[in-house]
Amino acid sequence: MSSSSSRRVVKRVKYKDAVKNPGTPGVLTMVENRFVFKPNDPTSARMLDVEFRHIKGHKNTKEGSKQPPLLNLSSSREGISYIFEFQSYPDLHECRDFVGNALSKATETAKTASERDGVTFPDEQLSAAEMELRMKLLQEDSELQKLHMQFVISGVLTESEFWATRKKLLDGDSRTKPKQRVGFKNSMILDTKPTSDGRIFALKPAVHQAFLKLVPIKMTEKDFWTKYFRAEFLHSTKNAATIAAEAAEDEELAIFLKEDEIVAREARWKIRRVDPTLDMEADQGDDYTHLPDHGIFRDGSKDITELQNEQYRRTLSQDLNRQGAVVLQGRTVDGDLEDPENVAEALMRSRQEPDEGAVQERLDRITRMNEMDDLREPRDHPVAQLCIKDPRDYFDTQQANALKTLDDSRIGIEQKKCSMTTEEAYGSLRESISKIKSIGLKNSTVESEIALTVLNGLTQNISSTKYQLGKNPRESILDSLPNRTKEELLHHWMSIQELLRHFWSSYPITTAYLSTKVGKLKDAMSQIYRQLEEIKESDFRHQVSLLVRPMHQALDAAFQHYESDLQKRAARSAEMPNGNA
Amino acid sequence: MPQVRIIAKNFMDMVAALPAMKLDKLYENAFICEAILRSLPPLAKKYVLQLLCIEVPVTAKSMEEWVLPDGVSKHRVAIDRLIQLRIFTETVDRKRETTYTLNPIFQTNLKKLLVHGVVLPREPMPSNITVRLPSLEDLQAFALEQWECFLLQLINSSQSERPSNISSSMMKTFQRGLLSQRDREAPRLTDSGFQFLLMDTNAQLWYIIREYISNSEERGLDSADLISFLLELSFHVTGEAYNINTLNERQKNIIKDLADLGLIKLQQGRKDSWFIPTELATNLSVSLTDSSSRKQGFVVVETNFRLYAYSTSKLHCEILRLFSRVEYQLPNLIVGAITKESLYSAFENGITGEQIISFLQQNAHPRVAERVPSVPENVTDQIRLWETDLNRVEMTPAYYYDEFPTRELLEGASDFARGYNALLWEDVNSKKTRLVVKAENHVHMREYLGRQRQ
Amino acid sequence: MASAASKLYADDVSLLMVLLDTNPFFWSSSNLPFSKFLPHVLAFLNSILLLNQLNQVVVIATGYNSCSYIYDSSSDSNQGSDHGRIMPARCSNLLQKLEEFVIKDEQLFKEGSREGISSSLLSGSLSMALCFDEQIYRGFFDQGHFILNLAVTMHAMQILCLQGSSDGPEQYVAIMNSIFSAQRSMVPIDSCYMGSSNSAFLQQASYITGGVYLKPQQPNGLFQYLSTVFATDLHSRAFLQLPKSLGVDFRASCFCHKKTIDMGYICSVCLSIFCKHHKKCSTCGVLKLLSVLYALCFGWVRRITT
Repeated sequence: MSSSSSRRVVKRVKYKDAVKNPGTPGVLTMVENRFVFKPNDPTSARMLDVEFRHIKGHKNTKEGSKQPPLLNLSSSREGISYIFEFQSYPDLHECRDFVGNALSKATETAKTASERDGVTFPDEQLSAAEMELRMKLLQEDSELQKLHMQFVISGVLTESEFWATRKKLLDGDSRTKPKQRVGFKNSMILDTKPTSDGRIFALKPAVHQAFLKLVPIKMTEKDFWTKYFRAEFLHSTKNAATIAAEAAEDEELAIFLKEDEIVAREARWKIRRVDPTLDMEADQGDDYTHLPDHGIFRDGSKDITELQNEQYRRTLSQDLNRQGAVVLQGRTVDGDLEDPENVAEALMRSRQEPDEGAVQERLDRITRMNEMDDLREPRDHPVAQLCIKDPRDYFDTQQANALKTLDDSRIGIEQKKCSMTTEEAYGSLRESISKIKSIGLKNSTVESEIALTVLNGLTQNISSTKYQLGKNPRESILDSLPNRTKEELLHHWMSIQELLRHFWSSYPITTAYLSTKVGKLKDAMSQIYRQLEEIKESDFRHQVSLLVRPMHQALDAAFQHYESDLQKRAARSAEMPNGNA
Repeated sequence: MPQVRIIAKNFMDMVAALPAMKLDKLYENAFICEAILRSLPPLAKKYVLQLLCIEVPVTAKSMEEWVLPDGVSKHRVAIDRLIQLRIFTETVDRKRETTYTLNPIFQTNLKKLLVHGVVLPREPMPSNITVRLPSLEDLQAFALEQWECFLLQLINSSQSERPSNISSSMMKTFQRGLLSQRDREAPRLTDSGFQFLLMDTNAQLWYIIREYISNSEERGLDSADLISFLLELSFHVTGEAYNINTLNERQKNIIKDLADLGLIKLQQGRKDSWFIPTELATNLSVSLTDSSSRKQGFVVVETNFRLYAYSTSKLHCEILRLFSRVEYQLPNLIVGAITKESLYSAFENGITGEQIISFLQQNAHPRVAERVPSVPENVTDQIRLWETDLNRVEMTPAYYYDEFPTRELLEGASDFARGYNALLWEDVNSKKTRLVVKAENHVHMREYLGRQRQ
Repeated sequence: MASAASKLYADDVSLLMVLLDTNPFFWSSSNLPFSKFLPHVLAFLNSILLLNQLNQVVVIATGYNSCSYIYDSSSDSNQGSDHGRIMPARCSNLLQKLEEFVIKDEQLFKEGSREGISSSLLSGSLSMALCFDEQIYRGFFDQGHFILNLAVTMHAMQILCLQGSSDGPEQYVAIMNSIFSAQRSMVPIDSCYMGSSNSAFLQQASYITGGVYLKPQQPNGLFQYLSTVFATDLHSRAFLQLPKSLGVDFRASCFCHKKTIDMGYICSVCLSIFCKHHKKCSTCGVLKLLSVLYALCFGWVRRITT
């Protein structure tokens, strides 16, 4: 049903005035700059044809919620919103994305228009990616979009000013990466020349040991490497019999030809220090080496040699593992890496180091593993999220505060200074304590009549709060207002917050730019101030004025600051008429 | 919950069932008041405290004012319990308004407790007498050992290492309901016996004590006396020694039985005899509440039907043995497997699969208990499947009739049996005439056949 | 809405921390003399301990200069008989400790340090109460006692402030921090305020942590208030409606003059509150800032910054 072109979306929907209404079934068509709703019943009068520039925001139900897929497009005209119920969530998402795009496009055209004729503001150059991110943020949050429209497009704030207070939103995903340690290149050395970075030594501890033992006492370095590569060559012939024969003849050569004794010992040691809770025995049955494709020899051949030459065999997996271990260990050698002798010695030093600490760490790890994580209580205590409940509660309490009014005026009376001296006060306290000591708790039990009055008083309090607040104790004044007024108030509150944030952060005024900005902000605020006054004149004067009061107070304080600052600046410029411009 | 069923009604119901006279007499003792207050549901406790100072009736309406919609049922339970125990007196006046008054004796006693503090029933051994008292650890070990020994003996007389002094007639009364004795067969655990084993120590203790009290009349003891003595005992201080001579003869006899259960340790001094209450005794009044029946679980069941029980108790091992194959026993761990064979033997003993599953769930180790489900689903399903496997053959006692002289008689008889919905099988086609009818209808069948023969 | 209510309590076992105001200046001018006030409290403590054997009560004295633990029911020596005494042994212990505390508190007094409002050290005792909670977490595992282990599984701590003296604005920050940590660890703070006007601090404390704030209208019926409202364990609170105070005073104190203010300036970096516009924040030293002006209520401040 949906057309493949993104320029046009057609969906079967139900159009509703309110969420609860059954709605009119029909077809919704969205094109670049407008959307059209045609009811199935041609006689129905509920036809719609609305341009996107009249739409100021959109909301939709979340997938997975119990509600049907609803999209709510609110019009910039007072209190009108278009609600569409879709047949499925994919339909809804497609339309929502389309609306988001269309709205941002409408915004953009408006913006470019305003930028063209407006003053050029110092604006940063934005990359396409950043622009895209901002667009996405606006699309996701219709409240934000509303604010953006209201202030940026009307020119009260510039684009960069608007986003400057929302840096957190913008750099959500930039993360610092941990520094990398310098290591070996992960390339296998199978047939390399004697590199001097110590890699061969690290990889083959037996060669390392032999080097320390033999060079330069028994043979020169050159002879050593010749022997080594002869051994490597012999391995590459894969002829175990020849290898065995050669090894028997040449003692030094045999060192290279045999299985690396040190590596083997380390491997055994590693097996021993495996976490005891792991059942190595259980893995014994999992011996795959007899299966085809396991135990591949290092050059891919799989010929079977005689068992007695076992020790001269090396498998690819062994080599790979060793290589991996060395690469992971990293380069632990400092100093001159040019001279193999130095390298060999340095490597030896570094090998000996990890003794105490490493052992300790290993033990720690084992004990930690032994705790049997799944049998422990969770380590941390349960904590509640530290956040204030619904901020609207504030309005409630403000109301109650306004009602009780006179209660606070008594504070002054209470604060009357206690006329007693310190000694007297403490004395009387001590006296009371000893008095209780002597007579006991006799007068602790309350007389029946007083107890009854107290209980009745409390019961009355409870029943009265029950009736005052209705069944739902969370019902507030804000909720008692009609939806339109409520939304309007909340929107004004958001706008005031936004403006005040910019207003106060522009002080002290140091540049002409800031001064014009403050002026513009002040105008915008006084406009909202007037709008608030208008709302106050509506039917719910009493409730609304309670809610509006704190907003007016905040704005008043800002105006006052603006005026006094203006006067101060005027006085200063009067003092020094030749002030540097 | 199966747990509730076996406790039947808990101890407080026994108290509530006492005649009004006896109940009022009980309240004259301040300890009883305290113990009973502690046994009440939380809301009921609050109501008592709320009315503690008020001597005039309070309307039910004003109390309901405080209750949130979620709490209505709890409120009802609390008020009912208070009225049952005669702590509240309910009166309906002419204007049909219900009011409650707190039992004045109960009220005065509680007030006294608050203002003057506790007066213990008897003074502990003065410190100047030098008798070596067992340490608290020793005492606790003694109590647990004694109790486990008793339980082992209760479920399996041959298993216990040393026979306790509890008379076999007393043991019989305890075993009643828990074990089923068939002719010449070893006694077997019934399903309620199994449930009994699944309860925690305090609940078991109360079950036994309840049995003990309920047949106290047979032994010539007044049950109200016994209850008040037991509650009084629970207010003694653990580990302190008390002179036995402060007790009357009847109480001395009771003390001996309690010592066998591990509630009390008797100690012979140079001149006097002493009794030392153990934790089991002092917990008697605590464990009255339902809330204290919670305990730490210890069993982990894996999807591969293996079962790990972190427990040192021999009793736990015995319980697990009832339905699983115990493989290893380490000092603090029992490893077993739930197998078809082990379950079949459990089913034969009359233990149901649901009971086993609920045991595993209720005793799940805290870490697995958090998960849902705490026992893997494949294990619970398999237990149920194996159980239904056994039920494929249904046994119905029946009578077999044959050699009917005429086919008409056979048909008439089978119609007659059908009329009672008792016909199980008939063989009409073959020459042999055979009929199987449910045993319970044999009498009718015989009468019918007799009539037909005439 | 109450954060503490979201935690489910399996039973009525409770740990009650009572913060007892012992400010001599308040009590010497109070309508209800201390000698009449304390017996009510002691009887209330007894009744809490009577309700459940596992209940624990800890009393912290809030003095003028100091505060201190003066009673812990778990450290009661095996309760002996109170036969022939005029009051339970635990009460005389408590009174003894209280007397020692008062004497010590007086010694800490430096003449001339008393100025303006004579408020008690509520912030100190609140922190002590919360620290006790932490001690419990650690302490329980040392005791192998099996009754105590029962209590570990779900221990429900609640704090009851029996406060009389008025708020000390200079403690504003410390008290607020205590309140937030109590909220975070789901410990409700109940307050029973004996003074003549309302205490904004305690109102906020109870409001934020989901406790009950109550100002007894009939001080001589104190025990009835305590046993009816504050003896309600956290388990039962899920089923009962407790008195709810309307009109919580959310006003904050400024950091500079410790005045309670309706409007003020907030440092946008450290959230310090000032009654006047400053060039530099005296708490964190940020220049230029001190920008946002709001009707002060912690709800708003937090909303803005998050």
